[in-house]
Parts: sequence; structure tokens; C-alpha cells
Amino acid sequence: MARLGFSDKLMMIFIYVFLIVLSFSAFYPFWNALVVSFNLGIDTTKGGVTFWPRVFTLENYQIVFKDDRLINGFFVSVSRTVVGTITAILMTAILAYGMTRRELIGRNYFMFFFVFTMYFGGGLIPSYLLISSLGLMNKFLVFIIPALISVWNMIIFRTFFKSLPLGLEESAQIDGATNWGIFFRIVLPLSGPVIATLSLFTAVAHWNDWFTPSIYITNENLIPIQTMLRQILNANIVTDMASNMDTASIARLDQMRTITTKSLTMATMMVATLPIVMVYPFVQKYFVKGVLIGSLKE
Amino acid sequence: MAQATTEQRTRLEQQPKPKKNIFVRFLKQWDIQLMVWPGILLIFVFAYLPMYGILTSFMDYNIFTGGNIWANPWVGFKHFQMFFDSPEFYNVMRNTIVISLLKFVIGFPAPIILALMLNEIRHMMFKRIVQTVTYLPHFMSWVIVAGLVMSMLSTENGSVNMLLKSVNMIDEPINFLSMKEYFWSILISANVWKEIGFGSIVYLAAISGVDPHLYEAADIDGASKFKQIYLITIPTIMPVVIIFMILSIGNLLNAGFEDILLLANNPVLRPVSDVIDTYVYRVGLSNFRYSYATAVGLFKAVISIGLLTMANYIARRSGNSLW
Amino acid sequence: MTKARKTTMLIVSAILVLATVLAGCSSDSKNKPSPSPSSNATNTPSNNPEEPASDVWEFGSEALEFSMYGHYSWYDVPAWDSTVAGRWLKENKKLNITPISAGGNPEQKLSTMIASKSLPDVMWMDRGADVERLREAGQLVAFDDYLDKYPNLKTWMGKDLNLLRSSDGKLYQFPNWYTGRANGNAGYVINKKIYDELGQPKLETTDDLYNYLVAVKAKYGDTVVPFDPDLAKDSQGLGVLYTAFKENASYTHLHANVRAVPQGDNLTSLFTDPTFREAQKYIAKLYREKLITQDAFTQTRDQIEERIMQGRVAVYAGANPTVVAMNAHQEMVKKDPESGYFMIWPIHKEGLDKNKIFPGTYTALGWNVNVITKAAKDPEKIFAFLDWYTGPEGQSLLFFGPEGKNWKGFDSEGHPIFTDDYNAEEVLELQKAHDPIMWNGNTGFIDPAKMKYESKLPAHEQNWAARYQSEITWPTQSNATEFINLVPQPDSELGIVKQRVDDIYTQAYAQSVMAKDDAEVESILDKAEKDAQAAGYGELLEWRTVEWKKNIEIIAGG
Repeated sequence: MARLGFSDKLMMIFIYVFLIVLSFSAFYPFWNALVVSFNLGIDTTKGGVTFWPRVFTLENYQIVFKDDRLINGFFVSVSRTVVGTITAILMTAILAYGMTRRELIGRNYFMFFFVFTMYFGGGLIPSYLLISSLGLMNKFLVFIIPALISVWNMIIFRTFFKSLPLGLEESAQIDGATNWGIFFRIVLPLSGPVIATLSLFTAVAHWNDWFTPSIYITNENLIPIQTMLRQILNANIVTDMASNMDTASIARLDQMRTITTKSLTMATMMVATLPIVMVYPFVQKYFVKGVLIGSLKE
Repeated sequence: MAQATTEQRTRLEQQPKPKKNIFVRFLKQWDIQLMVWPGILLIFVFAYLPMYGILTSFMDYNIFTGGNIWANPWVGFKHFQMFFDSPEFYNVMRNTIVISLLKFVIGFPAPIILALMLNEIRHMMFKRIVQTVTYLPHFMSWVIVAGLVMSMLSTENGSVNMLLKSVNMIDEPINFLSMKEYFWSILISANVWKEIGFGSIVYLAAISGVDPHLYEAADIDGASKFKQIYLITIPTIMPVVIIFMILSIGNLLNAGFEDILLLANNPVLRPVSDVIDTYVYRVGLSNFRYSYATAVGLFKAVISIGLLTMANYIARRSGNSLW
Repeated sequence: MTKARKTTMLIVSAILVLATVLAGCSSDSKNKPSPSPSSNATNTPSNNPEEPASDVWEFGSEALEFSMYGHYSWYDVPAWDSTVAGRWLKENKKLNITPISAGGNPEQKLSTMIASKSLPDVMWMDRGADVERLREAGQLVAFDDYLDKYPNLKTWMGKDLNLLRSSDGKLYQFPNWYTGRANGNAGYVINKKIYDELGQPKLETTDDLYNYLVAVKAKYGDTVVPFDPDLAKDSQGLGVLYTAFKENASYTHLHANVRAVPQGDNLTSLFTDPTFREAQKYIAKLYREKLITQDAFTQTRDQIEERIMQGRVAVYAGANPTVVAMNAHQEMVKKDPESGYFMIWPIHKEGLDKNKIFPGTYTALGWNVNVITKAAKDPEKIFAFLDWYTGPEGQSLLFFGPEGKNWKGFDSEGHPIFTDDYNAEEVLELQKAHDPIMWNGNTGFIDPAKMKYESKLPAHEQNWAARYQSEITWPTQSNATEFINLVPQPDSELGIVKQRVDDIYTQAYAQSVMAKDDAEVESILDKAEKDAQAAGYGELLEWRTVEWKKNIEIIAGG
């Protein structure tokens, strides 16, 4: 590597400092949440628990894991994320590749047809009636089927596919490969970074989705952990409720709501986020430079 | 090089196609059509079939009628009129536009810059750690982030006020969260902080398409880092950047919801914090005014699609457009 | 079930039948005693002769199953066999409840259930607009035919029940925590150590309070918050202060559902009310001089709790300060017996009668309600269960666990008789665990029953909160039942007016607290009055006056 000039050195110093500061600011809240989740609830309310638990306990996790519903919710989350990601990525990638082909008749109309749905929707009630008439209520498939195609991801896929060297496809065509063959044997293998990225996005969306289950699932055996976490967090949100109640009722409400301590909330949050957070480091290895170039030279 | 491919492709696209009978051509490309039709059908079923719901914005929709929306009386543009005439309209629109423009101007380039910075890091371990760590906040719910912001900016032992005090910049703690002049900055900073790492992922993926030989060649030529970024990295990720920019412009009326709801706790902030979505939530959803909420949603959608079309039209010249 | 246990059950049952008969007679001689807990007839047909020959369905005689939904973002009906009481009821009363999850998203969930005509059998929700809307659409079951057959609700609630009736004269709502007794916890909590260090000054009037807060600020500077009003956005501690300025002023006047002050025969504007203005000026002065935490409107519960726990608050006021204060008190006295918190008699303005100051309110109707929808197959059976649940047996089960361990039978006043095995800690655990299934708490029954136990303990062992409830907060909460049902339908013209007035009020309230001087308070409230009138506040007040008078008539006439 060539020697760095002065201004380059300065820039590198700035970049390192900036990244360290940013990383710390991003890391600390998460770390603190982790620490709080290992700290005794009543002690946490006294404040001052920062980098290390003051009164260490596993109690919070014991409570979380004692609750069958949370465990069950965890498995629901995992299965819908795995199944949902694989199917959606496959379906969306196929669609996106078709949409990159310039000879596709109606391509621009199709594109507008898709983009239109990013802004216009019929609202919740018609969607609900549709889902229930399709018999998807309280079914695992309600997590999967409506999410098969993401227009947003299709656009990103398409943008990446478009930047693949055209020559590859053309030479394959000359060699007599079919369009589907080109897609599976040339385009997909060359698209490691974008597949990794969009798989991550899709997995995160599936994992974090609390809304679909809140509406379409009433059977508690199919409620994923994020929906449960949201409920726990909601107990701490101040809504306008208290402003229309007499004080005696506020007292009853408080009694109902304060059953979850901060430590327990954080423990639940950890269980609900750590698994998906761990996915990213595995995705990063696909972001290696020159993947594409290497294959071109073969 | 990557740039070259894009240009090449654009040229090819603009070539006049041989005119044949459309039916014949369709049959000839049945395999490609087969790639898009499952998607079209799915979107048709799950996005287009429910779209009749839009009609309720021109009705007084009674929820007990359920799917039989024809049982509701038509009221024309009544709900739109009500929204435009409401005393909050001006404020709500101004806040929506200002907040989303700020989010666009600051929040859009931030992840790109982070990705460019990360690309300069040669130390792989450090790079991976930074990548992973900066992406963590995306997974914290806004409730927790808002709680954090509040304790940081608190007047009672909040870390920001303590810091400012210890360096003698202020004598009395500043009540950041109750003063209108600070709200937008707080909101935008919290947003950028939360999403910067996650947002940079797709650009990192795009950067991995750069041919490393180009950097080597540039190094030999003695080009500075800045020049390399400008001449090699940025052109490579440009298609992605432009597409994302078009999409963000289409999203300009979505100024946020949960973040604003939770950070603008003090009602005195309402003149600067109320945006379309928080307003509709307050007067629409929680008060059963479904038609009203749908009408405002439709208004937003029409403007969004207009903005998107415009952005797309402009972007066409660069060869990177949605359609 | 073993044979021995069966025999025990029989004996216990016999005792219980007797006890309940006695209890029934002493509490309300007009009503027949509630069905006894023993008549669950797990195979004891001998209990049946007691049964009236009518078509009354006896809870537990056949299996009962229904679905239940809680209309709250922070709540879901728990799995039925996850609680002690649920398991007991499943085994002994053949009751099974299927929870319907709200998924943290109740508004949209309910909308979709309505639109698709798939309502759950029972819904647990706030009184008011949602209930009324369901009723108007004919989705709810009226209880009138069941009231006499299953008499617990009627017995314990009495004529206040009429206030729950809808405009068609029928009853659709089964209340939760309904009561004829004052209850609630609103008031002022004082930090003992700081109070002692400042020489235990007189703390009775608003001037005393001001001087005290100034002294706190002078002595402790930034380390202590002189006055913490809890979550000021919801009124809370600041609403409590408002009541100091007028005899019989009510916390409820500030409510979103009332927002009015009674003057003679009319409900009048809050913004022009001299008491409200005086209170706002006082509060603004405290805020300006930093005697009230500057975070009042933005702070979170966590922040408040932390400060109270650390003993960094001198005066803490709120609608329900006791839970946080009690926990903090218990933690603090562990280290230093001289520290901790105590409550004071509510502050009043000089010259007013301190016995006519009421910082908090309660209503006879309690907190929220259960409704049975037309989707239910057997609404009568569900009602029979709800009625049993709110009666002595149900309440004792929820509070003290299944009969036999901590309690056995009822005394002459109808209170459960505690056994020698009574385990206070277990009872506390049970109550906590049962909180999520206390759908129709009966304050009138359970509070005296709890007090009966508490009062036997020496003062230092008494629960901190229970002690101040009996000494201070309960005597100083006023009955605000006359102000219920003053909410117009949200999607009506008046509903839109209410929404606007609420917006104007919320902003003006915070602005006036943060005002620079008295003149600014005046001008903010003047402007709010003008805006509110322009939005239609006058009509809203007129409508509310009419409804309010109806309430008073019902309460008086019964």
C-alpha cells in the first residue's frame, strides 16, 4: 500500500475517532440494558447501574424463561423468520430478475403497478376481511404468504442485478442457457452481497413484526415474542388514559401496570433482540470486495 | 468500470426494438413472463383487492357495516374539506414538511457517509465491530430510545446538562425537552443515531461491487483518498443511491410517528411536533373517525406518488430510474 | 381428589352454607344469600335442596367456556391455567376461559373484530364511547333479566347501578372496583429525613408549602427536587395542588372527560374559573423558581422512581404516589430507620377548612367494565360467573387463595375468617399474580376484609400504604360519581368539539405552568378561553350540564 499523504492521515484519524465515538454511543445503551437485565429489579430503581451489575441476579431471566408463552413466542419468531425469509427472498429475487429484462413486455407498466402499492392501500379493515376470507386467520401462513413479495426489496434487487455485467448473460444466452438457468446459475451466485443484505432486511422485518400477529392472530400459541415485548413496553408508555380517570382508578391502573420491573423488561428485550442481532456478523462476510470481479475472470 | 456497465446497459435499453406482433413476442418470452406473474398475482391479491377501502374516504363509514361498504352514505369531499379547514392544518403541514426535509437532508446522506468511512478502514476486526455495534440501536424500540433521550437531557442530573455545566457553558440546566427551538434537532439526532448503522448496510453491499484493482491503480497514480472516494467508490454506489433517493422523496410526507409521539411529551411542543400521522392518530383512529383517517391517508398517497413521479422523471436522465 | 379431601370439603361446605346465610342476612336482609361456594357439587347432590326452584343456573354445575378479550395496549387476558385461581376454577367449577389477545394494538384489533363480526364473548374495557358504540349497534347483551337471579352485583352496588345504565334504560356493563366507600391514594408524600433536618416546620397551607420548598432549595440546592408532581402531563401532582385552593374543588374538574367547574346550576369554563387561575399562578411561581422539577412534563416513571428511591425528593405529590413511596420507604429504612417517607394531610389555602379539601376522587362505578357480547352462546351463564366472581367467594379466592389454606368460611359481617395458617407473604404473592384476572373487583367487600387483617397488626408491621390509606387518603378523596358519562360520542359534532377543547387545554395547561409571570398566565388562559369558545366549548358545556344534572337526579332519586 502506498504511503498516506498528510491530509489522508488527518482524514483517517478523524474517521477512527468518529467511528469510535459513534460505536460507543450505540453500544452503551445496549450494554446498559444487558447489565440492567442481570441486576436485581428493586436495586435497579435506585439508579446508578451503568457498566456492571451491582446486585447480580439471574432472576429476571428465570422469570422470562419460566413463562411458557415467551418461550413459545420465541420459537414462533424463529420459525416465521427462517421460513419467511427464505421464501420471500426467492420469490422477490425471481420477480426482480424478470423485471430487469429489457425485453419484458409491459415492464414499465408492471413497475408502476408495483410502486403504486407502496403508497396506496385500502386500509386495515378490507385487508382483514380479505385475510379472513382466504382462511388465513390464526394460521402460521399469514406470516408468510402476504409477505412473499416486498416491492421495496424487489427494487433493490433489481438495481443490483442491473449493475451486473451484461456480457455474462449474453454469452450464456449464446451458449444456449435458458432464462431461468441464467438466473439460477449466473445471476444468483454473483449476487452474494445483495442477497445477504436483503435476507438480513427481510429477517429483521419478520422478526420485528408485531403488527401482523396483533391483528391476525388471537390464538396465543402463534404470537411471536415481539408482540409480547411490545405489550410489556406499552405498560410503561404514558397514554392519555390517566388524564380521564379519577385518582382511585389511576391507582388501580397503576397496580395493574407496574407488575413488570425495568429489569424484567430489559431481560425480555434481550431475549427478543439478541438472536436477530447475532445474524449480522454472519452476513458481513458476504461484503467482500471483488467477489464479482473474480468470477468474471474465470 | 461499473459505471461503464450501467451506461452500456442504458444504451442498449434505448435501442429501438424490432416491432413484431405483441402476442407473438409475448409467447416467445413466456419464461420471462413466468418470472413476474406470480409476483403480480400476489400483489394483486394482497394489495389491490383491498383497495376498495379507499372509497370510504368519500363516505361516512360505519364500522359495523364491515365489508359491505355500499351501505354507507356518500359524502363527497367532506372529510378532505374538514382536514384542510381544521385550525391545525397549517401547522401540521409545515411540521410534516420541515421534519421530513430535515430527515432527508441529514438522515439520507448519513448512512452513505458511514459506509464510505467504513470502506476506508483496513483493520477488518475493527471494521466488523463498528459495523455490528452501530447497527444495534435499530433494534431498540422507540420507547426505550425515548426514555434514554429523556434521561440524558433531563434537567435533574441529565448527562448533557452536567457536561455543559462542568465546562461552564451554562449556569442553569437547559430544559431541552420543553423548548420548541430544540425539538427538531433532538428528533433528527435521535433518528440519525438510531438508523445510521442499519441504513449503511445496503451501501456497504453496493461498495463490495468495487473492483479492488481500481484502488490499487489509483494508489499508484498517487490519487488522494478523497479523490478515490469521489472517482471510484461513489460512482459505483450511485445507482443504489439514486434509487434510494427517489424512494425517499416519495416518502416525504411520512415525517415519523412513534418517535415524535414519544419524544414530544410536553404539550407545549405541539406547535412544532404535530405531523400528519400524529394528528390523524389523535383525532382519527382513537376516535373512530375512520373515513377521516382514510381521507388524510389518501391525500398523503396522492402527493407522494406525485413527488415520486417527479423524482423519477428527473432521475431518468442519469439512467437510473424506477420505470 | 382423595376421599379424605372430599369429606373435608363436605364439612367445610356445611359450615360455609351457614356462614353465608348469616352474612347475607346481616349485609342486606332484602336479598337472598349468594349461592354458597360449596354448592359446586363436585358430587354432592345433597347441597341442592337449598336451591330455589327457579331457572337459576348455578355456577359450576355444568362446564362453562367462553372467550375473553382485554381492550388495552398493555394487557392480555392470561392463560387461564397460569394462575392459582384459574386452575382452581377449572378443576372445581369447570370453568375455562379462552384468552383473545389484543396484541398490544387494541384499537385496531377491536375495529377488525367488529368489522368482521367476530367479537369475543366477553370484553374488559373502559366505560364510555366504545361500549356505547357497541351497544348502539346492538352487539351487547343487557343484564336486566339476570340481576335478580344472581344478586351479588345488585347487593354490593346498590342503586349506583343505575348510573351504568345506557340511554335505553338497560344495563350492559358489569363494573370493576365499584364501591360506595371512599378509596384512592392521591395526596402528598414527604421525605422524612429532609423534613426532620429542616426542623419539622408546619406544613398545612399553600404558604407553608411554598416556604418549605424554598427552604429545601436553599439548603440542598440541586441535589434535591423540592416538589415532584409525578407525570404533570396527566395532571397528577399539579391537579392535586389545584384542590388546595377551594373547598370541595375536585381533581376531576381537570379531567378530559369533564373540563368544567360547577357553578350553581351550570358547568362553566375551566379557563375562566378564578380558582383554576389562582392555582395555575401558584404552580407557575413554583415552577419558575425551580421548586418544581423542570422535567415535570417530560419525565418518565423510571426517572421519578429513581429519584424517590434515592431520597432526592422533598415533597412528592400525585394521583397515586403511594406505591412508589412505599417501595422506597421500605428500602430506605433498611439502611437508616430515620429516613423514609410519610404522608401529610392535604395542603389548603389559608382560611379554608382543611376538612373540605379533597386532593383525589373516586366514583361509585370504579375503574372499568366487563361487557358480554351477542357472540356469547350462554350470556346468562357468563353473567352467573361474573356475579359469583364479584361476590365474597370469588373475591376471597382472588385475594386470599382457594378456601382452606389462608381462610375458611365467613364471619358474621361476611368477611373471610383467616386461619392460623394465614401466610401474609403468600397472600401478597397471590394478589399480585391475580391482578390480571381481577375483572370485577368489589371494593366494598374486599377493603374492609383486608383492613380486618391489617388492623390486627402492630403499627410498625402495618403495610405503609394501608396505614396512610386509612388515616389520610381515604378520608380525603371525594366522590365524583356525578361527573361520569360526560363524554359525547367521539365521531359526533360535539365529539369533535371535545377533541379540539382537549387539544387547547393540554397545551394551555403546560404553557401556563411554564409562564414567566402572573400576567402571562392570565393571557394564556384568556387566549385558551377564546380559542375554546371558538371551537364550540360553550355548546359542549351546555350539553355536559344537562348530562350532569341527569346524573345528580339518578344519584338522588335512586
